[in-house]
Amino acid sequence: MLLHINLAYLFELWHSCPPWMPTDEHGDKNVWMEKPGHREGATMHVKKYLLKCLHRLQKGPGYTYKELLVWYCDNTNTHGPKRIICEGPKKKAMWFLITLLFAALVCWQWGVFINTYLSWEVSVSLSVGFKAMDFPAVTICNASPFKYSKVKHLLKDLDELMEAVLERILAPESSHANATRALNFTIWNYTPLFLIDERNPHDPVVLDLFADNHNDSAIICNDPGCKMAMRLCRLNGTECTFQNFTSATQAVTEWYVLQATNIFAQVPFQELVQMGYPAEQVILSCLFGAEPCNYRNFTSIFYPPYGNCYIFNWGMMEKALPSANPGTEFGLKLILDIGEEDYVPFLASTAGVRLLLHEQRSYPFIREEGIYAMSATETSIGVLVDKLQRKGEPYSPCTMNGSDVPIQNFYSNYNTTYSIQACLHSCFQDHMIRNCSCGHYLYPLPPGEKYCNNWDFPDWARCYSALQMSLAQRETCIGLCKESCNDTQYKMTISMADWPSEASEDWIFHVLSQERDQSTNITLSKKGIVKLNIYFQEFNYRTIEESAANNIVWLLSNLGGQFGFWMGGSVLCLIEFAEIIIDFVWITIIKLVGFAKSSRQRPASARYAGPPPTVAELVEAHTNFGFQPDAASHGPGAEAYPDEQALPIPGTPPPNYDSLRLQPLDVIESDSEGDAI
Amino acid sequence: MAPGEKIKAKIKKNLPVTGPQAPTIKELMQWYCLNTNTHGCRRIVVSRGRLRRLLWIGFTLTAVALIFWQCALLVFSFYTVSVTIKVHFQKLDFPAVTICNINPYKYSVVRPLLADLEQETKEALKSLYGLSEIQSRKRREAESWSSAWDDTRPKFLRLVPLLFFDEEEKDKARDFVTGRKRKVSGSIIPKASEVVQVQESRQVVGFQLCSNDTSDCATYTFSSGVNAIQEWYKLHYMNIMAQVPLEKKINMSYSAEELLVTCFFDGVSCDARNFTLFHHPMYGNCYTFNKGDNATILSTSMGGSEYGLQVILYINEEEYNPFLVSSSGAKVIIHRQDEYPFIEDVGTEIETAMATSIGMHLTESFKLSEPYSQCTEDGSEVPVRNIYNAAYSLQICLHSCFQAKMVEKCGCAQYSQPLPPAANYCNYQQHPNWMYCYYQLHQAFVQEELGCQAVCREACSFKEWTLTTSLAQWPSVVSEKWLLPVLTWDQSRQINKKLNKTDLAKLLIFYKDLNQRSIMENPANSIEMLLSNFGGQLGLWMSCSVVCVIEIIEVFFIDFFSIIARRQWQKAKEWWALRQAPPCPEAPPSPRGQDNPALDIDDDLPTFTSALRLPPAPGAQVPGTPPPRYNTLRLERAFSTQLSDTQLPGEP
Repeated sequence: MLLHINLAYLFELWHSCPPWMPTDEHGDKNVWMEKPGHREGATMHVKKYLLKCLHRLQKGPGYTYKELLVWYCDNTNTHGPKRIICEGPKKKAMWFLITLLFAALVCWQWGVFINTYLSWEVSVSLSVGFKAMDFPAVTICNASPFKYSKVKHLLKDLDELMEAVLERILAPESSHANATRALNFTIWNYTPLFLIDERNPHDPVVLDLFADNHNDSAIICNDPGCKMAMRLCRLNGTECTFQNFTSATQAVTEWYVLQATNIFAQVPFQELVQMGYPAEQVILSCLFGAEPCNYRNFTSIFYPPYGNCYIFNWGMMEKALPSANPGTEFGLKLILDIGEEDYVPFLASTAGVRLLLHEQRSYPFIREEGIYAMSATETSIGVLVDKLQRKGEPYSPCTMNGSDVPIQNFYSNYNTTYSIQACLHSCFQDHMIRNCSCGHYLYPLPPGEKYCNNWDFPDWARCYSALQMSLAQRETCIGLCKESCNDTQYKMTISMADWPSEASEDWIFHVLSQERDQSTNITLSKKGIVKLNIYFQEFNYRTIEESAANNIVWLLSNLGGQFGFWMGGSVLCLIEFAEIIIDFVWITIIKLVGFAKSSRQRPASARYAGPPPTVAELVEAHTNFGFQPDAASHGPGAEAYPDEQALPIPGTPPPNYDSLRLQPLDVIESDSEGDAI
Repeated sequence: MAPGEKIKAKIKKNLPVTGPQAPTIKELMQWYCLNTNTHGCRRIVVSRGRLRRLLWIGFTLTAVALIFWQCALLVFSFYTVSVTIKVHFQKLDFPAVTICNINPYKYSVVRPLLADLEQETKEALKSLYGLSEIQSRKRREAESWSSAWDDTRPKFLRLVPLLFFDEEEKDKARDFVTGRKRKVSGSIIPKASEVVQVQESRQVVGFQLCSNDTSDCATYTFSSGVNAIQEWYKLHYMNIMAQVPLEKKINMSYSAEELLVTCFFDGVSCDARNFTLFHHPMYGNCYTFNKGDNATILSTSMGGSEYGLQVILYINEEEYNPFLVSSSGAKVIIHRQDEYPFIEDVGTEIETAMATSIGMHLTESFKLSEPYSQCTEDGSEVPVRNIYNAAYSLQICLHSCFQAKMVEKCGCAQYSQPLPPAANYCNYQQHPNWMYCYYQLHQAFVQEELGCQAVCREACSFKEWTLTTSLAQWPSVVSEKWLLPVLTWDQSRQINKKLNKTDLAKLLIFYKDLNQRSIMENPANSIEMLLSNFGGQLGLWMSCSVVCVIEIIEVFFIDFFSIIARRQWQKAKEWWALRQAPPCPEAPPSPRGQDNPALDIDDDLPTFTSALRLPPAPGAQVPGTPPPRYNTLRLERAFSTQLSDTQLPGEP
């Protein structure tokens, strides 16, 4: 019934228009619109214009929702809708449900795919093999940062104090007499060592190791209840904390390192370099592949924890050296002298060479990533380059060159590439400068800042130790720093053998001594000699490369696949659907206009006097150009429609001509096909 | 025809139509081909000429075959995995670190228990190799070697005799206790000779294990006396230690304070309280750092050796058992907190007078379980009872499986593995045959005859710490002078002895960087992917969709058979009518037209739909009936007057 009313509106709309002008098949539709314009006033002009637009745009296949839907279902390329209209009611319902279900499935699956695409997943490809590659940069350092003979004058006071402390701990009875020795207590008073006697847990006794108010030997207790501690004070010693140690070894080591840091921080950079091991002393022999090299092929940098370090093949000035063959013969062979006798005794308890393989142009963080090589030993290191290349944002949270990291890189004046270690250290130094107003000796200094020392910054030790222990600081730094997208690791297979052998020892040392010191005597000791072989393994690279797992092609083909699988649809079907939606909107507009009009001219408009035409008839009339109203053509049923003659505008053809005109091609074609069978 | 077509379709739409619309299969096929959404079929019907039609039939069939083939490939490759490798830079949990002295028990304490065995071992060495006095450089207390040898009878050698074999006479062996030759019965099983053929050994040493019940004997030979005597010693050692209660064993071993001289983690001092005792049957007291006992797992937020674990270990070589262990040092294993440390299998050894620095890289692996691979998430589906108090691993499964078999076959449990419930360790007071049984079982286990290897599956996820181990001299020559006295002072709470540098080992375990690599397996295909790939294939070859599949099912499986059934039914009815006509003309045709009343009305009325749908068949069933159009026209009138009426066109 609703349909009848709708149709009535439509008809009203048409009938309110100027007299119907039938148009010829190919003629312009708008021709007939022009004529009434001359007759009517300005309002008619507007109306006419609107109608014109309406007709131009409204080329849709129907004038009611139902017509539109039927037409759409009949002509769409998606597979389901066609079946809805050409089956019986039960099947129709079934097909309707199936179509809805499939449409829902398609939407859901599309959602899944789009989600997957937007999760920016990556797939990796792994390749393993051998190829000629740049030999890694090799950084070597001595475990002792300075030659003791050269820093003795700086450390004199400290060493004496240290010895006194040791004596006091180890042999309290005998040392008491010697304690009167002239010691420089200014160092001691900044961060003294204490003994905390916790044998009575409710009343711990805190004793200064050099306090004068006790002269009995019982102060040094050897019970597990006694602990060594380091007092860290600030605000001129008014606020103090104790850093406890479970063993005396650790306590004195930590204390000494802290004091030594304080001393070295005040020494100008040039002097520090002078005090370290010079390259010609350390590097005795060098052979890269078949080519000889010497200490001049090494770039020197000053790395505070280990003093002078030497980098081979850093690639800063010259091109990096490639190695095209696996095996020891084609690698780097070094003989180094660590000069173990000249180690700073309290600073370096481990003797050996520190070694790091790293990428060209990257800063060597030997303390974190380095390995040891033992003296009097030949250490062979087979290298496998393990490379990880990532895509960067938005696939994985990494940075290509560190420019998007909100931390200033203090290592940038070395002209090195970004690395996460550099970022973490810069971050720490940054915090240090902000909290303690001075920079730590181990890390590079931003311009305009000073290294921490006791004289200028008396509170720094406590500040530093608090910062170092602070988890919040570390987590902030970890949160701020991003990994580098290209991560290269050198996997090492380390093997060792005694070197030199008993039999060859004599002549090897002789030759090496002669070459270094031009002396005929042996100036090297077996204990301090390190031999290193660094070479590529048979498979020298393993590259893991990321690529986008889901690209736009993948997405489209899957969307297409889903749409095709469930409904046999394509993008064109979507366009069809959009077209229908536009038509839908137009029909609604027409209806609204019609409704407005009819509500204004209600009395004028006449409804059908008799029963209005049925949907089937209207649809048929609309889609079938050969359609004739029954009454006119068929004899027997003619009387059944007496009202047909009483239509509002007698003599006018049925209103939907221009749509009819679109039809014939299709019908004819299908007919001819039918004949051809 | 054409103008009426749509109207008729419209009418038909409003009528209940059930069953196939075509009266014959040929027509059904034609209707299907013309109206289907797939592309090939239509061309078959509309093509003119036999060759073209054949070609199109060929193409269509090829396309169908291709679709099936491709879809089959897609289905078979459904359960494949793709691997992703991710790197996270983050705060990392520090792993549990278990440290053991290589020597299980202090020899001075355990010696009373092993005195007899030691005597006999020495005696054996003396008679086999002429070694009269073992010179122990380290051992301080010199005790009488041949004290009580004469009065005790050799019980260990009697139980498991050590034998000498000569190459010439294979089955003659010399028992060195009695000195007389004895016939070796049973099989001689040279240890490991299946793997490596030892050819030119002149004489071999071995021992014989016999079962008391059956007098079956198996002889195990070794190419070297060192192995033979160690194995032989170990056998007896396990026997003796199996009878010692656990508390006593713990007391005989090293305490944490003794083993650990100093400890430093992440810049903070730690001590023995941070270590958890773990008693290993073969390594005695081991200590686990960061076991996560009180639910706190330590983590590292900085890489580098300064921020890892630094310990100095006290290895007292004087207390070493000379026959059980021949190397000195400590063993360390890095493992997950809930993992059992298989220290004897996968430990890293640490040398004395050295600093061993172990840099770690963490790699996590996740595998997909069934149906992608055979791995197991938590071992719940593996039919082996986990006797370890730890999370599942392949190693645990194998050992548990072996121990279960051991209890089942030999009636007692092997000493080096935990005790299953309701079993006790083997010793030859209660289980005189156990050694023979154990060796037989072990042989079978190694040769994968017990089925343990088949039953046990690998775990799906595991954490792996890749270690880079490097050594350096420690303490250095110059620092030795002050370091050793201070360490001695630290340790003097435990032992009163001046430390030597060979008594000490320094160990550094740290993360080299905080990069955690995760290797993850992901399903390469999801069900969505599979469907969309199907869609792609169907669309590519035939422009087909699920709707087409439903159509095919409808047409070929429902309509097709109902047409055949109807045809058969009508034939049968005709035949029946012919037979029955003369005697009984008014016999009512039994249930008629269930499927399609419109079509099944007898031959006098032409079928409504068929008449509509198709050009009138040449041999129309009912000649002489009025053309079908009348009917429809009449119906249409009825329809147009009463719109909602969906009555059957029953009345003519």
